Amino acid sequence: MGKVRLRTRMVRYRWLFVLLLPGLAYFAVFRYAPMYGLTIAFQDYLPFLGFSGSPWVGLKHFEDLFSSPDFPRVLSNTLILALLNAVFVFPAPIVVALLLNELRLSVLKRAVQSAIYIPYFLSWTIVAALTYLLFALDVGPITQLMNDLFHARFDFLADPDWFRPLVILQTLWKSVGWWTIIYLAALAGVDPNLYEAARIDGANRWKQMWHVTLPGIRSTIIVVAILSAGNLLDTSFEQIYLLTNSLNRSVAEVFDTYVYFLGITQGSYSYSTAVGLFKAVVGVVLIYGVNWLARRFGHSGLS
Amino acid sequence: MKPFKKLTAAAGALVLAVTMAACSKEEEKADPADLGTLTLMIPLLSGDAAAPAVDGEMHKAVEALTGKKLQITWVPNSNYGDRMNVTLASDNLPEVMVVQGKLPAFVQSAEAGAFWNLTGKLDAYPNLKAENKQIELNSSINGQVYGIYRRRDPMRAAVIVRKDWLTKLGLKLPETVDDLYNVAKAFTENDPDGNGKKDTYGLVIPKWPGVYATASPYDVIETWFGAPNGWGDRNGKLVPGFDTPEFLEANRFVKKMVTEGLINPDFATLDSAKWDTPFFTGKGGMIVDVSSRAGVQLRLFKEKDATGYGNFVDLTGNLTGPDGKKRSYPTVGYNGFLAISKQSVPTEAELKDVLTVLNKLSSKEGQILLNNGFEGKNFKVTEGYALGQNATDPAIKTITNDVMSFAQLGTASNGYLAYVSLPAGQPEREQYEKRVKFHKADEASAVHNPAQAIVSKTQVAKGAQLDQIIADARVKFLAGQIDEAGLKAEIQRWYSQGGQDIVNEMNEQYAKFKK
Amino acid sequence: MAVKQSTPAGRVFDAVNILVLVALAVVMILPFIYVMAGSFARESELTERAFFLWPREFVTHSYDYIFATNTFLRSLVITVLVTAVGMGIQVLLTFTMAYPLSRRYLPGRSLFLGLVVFTLVFTGGLIPTYLIVRELGLLDSYWSLILPLAINPFFLIIVKNFFQELPDELQEAAQIDGCSELGVFWRIVLPLSKPILATMGLFYAVAIWNDFQSPLLYIDDASKWTLQMFVRQVTVSSDMANTVGQLDPNYEPPEQGLKFTVIVIATLPILLLYPFLQKHFVKGILIGSVKG
Repeated sequence: MGKVRLRTRMVRYRWLFVLLLPGLAYFAVFRYAPMYGLTIAFQDYLPFLGFSGSPWVGLKHFEDLFSSPDFPRVLSNTLILALLNAVFVFPAPIVVALLLNELRLSVLKRAVQSAIYIPYFLSWTIVAALTYLLFALDVGPITQLMNDLFHARFDFLADPDWFRPLVILQTLWKSVGWWTIIYLAALAGVDPNLYEAARIDGANRWKQMWHVTLPGIRSTIIVVAILSAGNLLDTSFEQIYLLTNSLNRSVAEVFDTYVYFLGITQGSYSYSTAVGLFKAVVGVVLIYGVNWLARRFGHSGLS
Repeated sequence: MKPFKKLTAAAGALVLAVTMAACSKEEEKADPADLGTLTLMIPLLSGDAAAPAVDGEMHKAVEALTGKKLQITWVPNSNYGDRMNVTLASDNLPEVMVVQGKLPAFVQSAEAGAFWNLTGKLDAYPNLKAENKQIELNSSINGQVYGIYRRRDPMRAAVIVRKDWLTKLGLKLPETVDDLYNVAKAFTENDPDGNGKKDTYGLVIPKWPGVYATASPYDVIETWFGAPNGWGDRNGKLVPGFDTPEFLEANRFVKKMVTEGLINPDFATLDSAKWDTPFFTGKGGMIVDVSSRAGVQLRLFKEKDATGYGNFVDLTGNLTGPDGKKRSYPTVGYNGFLAISKQSVPTEAELKDVLTVLNKLSSKEGQILLNNGFEGKNFKVTEGYALGQNATDPAIKTITNDVMSFAQLGTASNGYLAYVSLPAGQPEREQYEKRVKFHKADEASAVHNPAQAIVSKTQVAKGAQLDQIIADARVKFLAGQIDEAGLKAEIQRWYSQGGQDIVNEMNEQYAKFKK
Repeated sequence: MAVKQSTPAGRVFDAVNILVLVALAVVMILPFIYVMAGSFARESELTERAFFLWPREFVTHSYDYIFATNTFLRSLVITVLVTAVGMGIQVLLTFTMAYPLSRRYLPGRSLFLGLVVFTLVFTGGLIPTYLIVRELGLLDSYWSLILPLAINPFFLIIVKNFFQELPDELQEAAQIDGCSELGVFWRIVLPLSKPILATMGLFYAVAIWNDFQSPLLYIDDASKWTLQMFVRQVTVSSDMANTVGQLDPNYEPPEQGLKFTVIVIATLPILLLYPFLQKHFVKGILIGSVKG
C-alpha cells in the first residue's frame, strides 16, 4: 500500500524532480565524488603516490593530534574565539540591520549600506596593516588615546590579553556590513500591513520592533545561526596568522594556523585532513544540536 | 521504499563511476615526451604581476635560443606550493619544474621517484657543471642531487647605517659588535637628526616571520658572536646552534640593547613590510639585513632629494665578535632548483635532450637573455654593467618585466655570466661596488652550516614547528617575558618534543658524510 | 517600515541612530579611501606616511604602467564575464533546487536535505576536486571557475527557507486556479523572491569575483587569469612566503603604489554592484497578494 502511494506521489510531483535533478547532479559530481579524499586522513598521503599508492596508517594522525602537547591549547584557543564570535560577531549585523531599518531618509540608508559593506572586499593583509597602524606601540592613534585615558602604556599588538579583542574587532569591521545584507533582505519581506495593524493597536516603535520586526526575521536569524554553527571551529587563516607573533602565539594558535604549519611546511597533507575531519565532525554535531534546539522552541529548523 | 533504494543506488553508482574514473588516471601511462615542446612550471616574480605573453619578445627569444616550443605555466609566487602539490597529485607534471627549496613534498616525492636523480650526470654538460661543489652538496638531499640549483649570491649580510647621522655625530661605520652598541647608543641619546628631541634610536628590528636560522638579524648577530649557523660541529658531533654558550651571549647583548632603548620597542610586532619606514623617516638609524635593502633606501631617498640622496645611506659588512674574530653569515648559495620529472621525461635519451636545452640556457648567451634581456634594446653595456635604457617605452617595460620572470628559469650554477644590472647614478654605483667588495672579503670568514645537505625524517615531519619554539623563546627573552632560565627551559622543550630525535638522525647522516 | 512617531524620545533615538550609523560608515569607508589615495601616491610618500586620504603629490604612474599593456583590461573583461555568467548559472541552479526542497510533500525530502547539510562541513579536499575537474576535461577552461562552485549549500538552504516562509495560501489559490507545480514556481514564487534573488545574485557574484583558488589551481594559461590572480601576486605578504622558505632572495616586491592600484582596479567594479541592486531590497512585496 505504501509502495503504491509513493510511486503515485513521485509521478504526481515529477516536475519537482525535474527541477531537482540539475542540482543533484552538481552535488553528486562536485561534492560527493571528491569525498574519497577524506580517506587521506587515514593514510600517509603523498601527492605523488596518489591515493592508491600512499600507505595506510589508520588512526595514527588522530592519535598524534589528540596526544600532542599542543592540542589542549589549540583547542581552547579555537573554542574561545568561536564563543566570542557567537556572542559578538553573530548578533552585530542583526543589530545594524535593525538600526538601518529605522532610518527614514532612504538616501542616507542606501549610502550607509553601501559604505559598510566595503571592508568585506579588502584583504586581510590590508586589515592587518591598518591594525598595526592604529594600535602601534606608543604611536598608534588608538594606543595614544587609550594611554591618555588610562595612564598606562598599552602594547595591544604584543600583549596576549589583547589578541582576542583585536581579532573580534577585525572580524566585526570586516564582516558586519556584509551580513547585514541578508537581514535587510529578510526585513524587506516583512508585511507592512503588520506594522499598520500594530500601530492601530497602540504599539510604539519599540513594541513594533519587538512584535513585528524581530519575529519577521526570526526565521532567517535561526537558519543563519544553525548553518554558521557548522563552521564554528573555522577561523580565517590569514587573519590570525598576520596578527600572530612570538609574544602572543600562546593564545593565537588555532587549528587553522596549527595545521598550516604542519600541512604545508611539513608536507603532511594527511595530518591537516585529519584535523579538518575532526572539525567537520564537531561541526555536524553542532548543526544538529542547534537545529534540535530550534525545533524545541517551535521553529522548523533546517527542515 | 523501493524508489528510495533506486535513488540511493543511482546516486551511489554515479559516485562510484566518477571515483573509478578518478582512480583510473593513476594507471594511465605518460605520453612519450613530445620532443618539439618543452613544458615548464615557473613561479611568477614579475614587477607588474603580469605573466610573460606567449607572443612576447622574451618568450619568443627563449624559444629561438632553445629551439623548442615552450609551454609555460606561470604560477603566482605566493601560492606556488599549493599548485605544486596539486600538480604532483595529478600525474601531469611539466617536464621541467622550478622547485623553491627542499620542501617536504618535494623531498618525499623525489625519493619516491618523481624526479630524475641527477647526481653525477650534470658534469657532462659544460654549463651545468657546478662551479661550487659545496653549494651543489648543500642543495642535495643527503648527497643525492635532484635538481640543478639556482645560484644566488653567497654573501648578503650587511649593516646599513644612516650616513648623515654618522657624519653629524662624528662617528665611523661600526666594525665590531661593541661599535654596534656604541653607535646605537649614540643614535639614541645624542640627537643625531638635530631636532632637539630624543626621538631616535639605534637598530631597527621587525617581527621576523621565519623560524630559527632563517637569516634574521638575530641569526646574523648570533653568528658574529661565534654561534653556529643552524647546526655546528662541536667535537665531531652536530649540535643545534642555539644550544651553545655563544647563542646565549649574543642574546644577552641584544637584550641589553633592548633594555636601554637602543632598539625599536615594537621589535616583536613591527610588520616586516614596513621595515624601511623607521630608517627612512629618521626614527631608527641602523638595519642588519641583506645589502640590497640599502639599494631600496637609496631609491626612496632619491625621490625626496634628487641630488643629495647619496648622503643618507651607508653600509658595511659583517662585524667582528667580542673576541676580535670575524665570523660572517653566509647565504645557502642557492634558491631552489630546476627538477626534471621522470614521468614526463621517461627515457635517458629524452633526459639528455632536456639537459641539452638547459645547458644552452646556462651559456653566457642564455644567461644574458634570461637575466638582462636584449642588448641595445632594454639595456646597454657600460663598463661591464647593464644599464637600463628606454625605460619609459611600454614595449621596453614589458621586456624588463618579462626578464624578471624568466630569470627564475636561470640556474647559473656554472657561475653568473650575465651582466649585473645597475641603475644610473653615481651614488648607486658607489654603493654597489662597496657591497661587492665587502661581501667578497666576508666570504673568507663565512660560517657554513655543516648539515645543510642532510635531511632528517623527523626534521621534515616536525622541524618547522619545533624551530618556532626557539624563535619564540628568543623574542620572549628579549622582551623580558622569560628570563635566562626560561630560555634554557624552552631549549630543553625543543629537545624533549622531538628535537632529540632530530639530533640523533642528523648525527647518523653526518657520520656518513664525514667519511 | 515602522510608522513615523514624533515623540521626543523617538527623535533622540533617530538622531543617535544617524550618528552611530554614519560613524560606522565612515570607519568602514576610510581605509578604502586610503587605498585609493595610495594608488595615486609616490613610493616615498607611502613609506613615510602611514595613513592619508589625499596624496601630497598626485601621480598616475602606477595606472599608466598597468594600462600600458592590455593585460589588465583583458583580465577585467574576463573576470566580468565569468562572474556574470557564473552568477547566472549559480542562481538558476540554486533556486531551481531550493524550490522542490521547500515543498514539504516532496518524496525523499529529508534524505536530500541531509545530503546537502552534510556537504556544509565535509569536503573531499583540494586534490580530489582537482582530479574530478581534470577528469571532466575542464582544466584551463573558464567553466572550471564556475561549475565546481555552482551551488553553495549555505545559500541553498537560505533560499529554501525563504520559499518556505511564503504563505501557503498563495500556492493553494494558484493551484485551485489550475496552476501546476512549475507554474506555481514560475508565476507565484519567483516574482515574490526579488529581495532574495538580489541577495543571492550579489553573494554569488562576489564569491566568484573574489575566488582566487580556482584560477590558481585550474588555469594554466596566464592569458586567462582573472583579476584575483594579480591581486594575489602583489598583495600577499611576502611574510608568508618567507616562512615557508620560498622567498627568492632576488625577489623585489612590487612598488607599494602598484599594489594599491591593483587592489583598486580589482575591487571597485564589484563594489559598485550592490548600489545597483539596492532598489530590489524594497519592502512590501506581499502587499495585496493575499487579499480575498
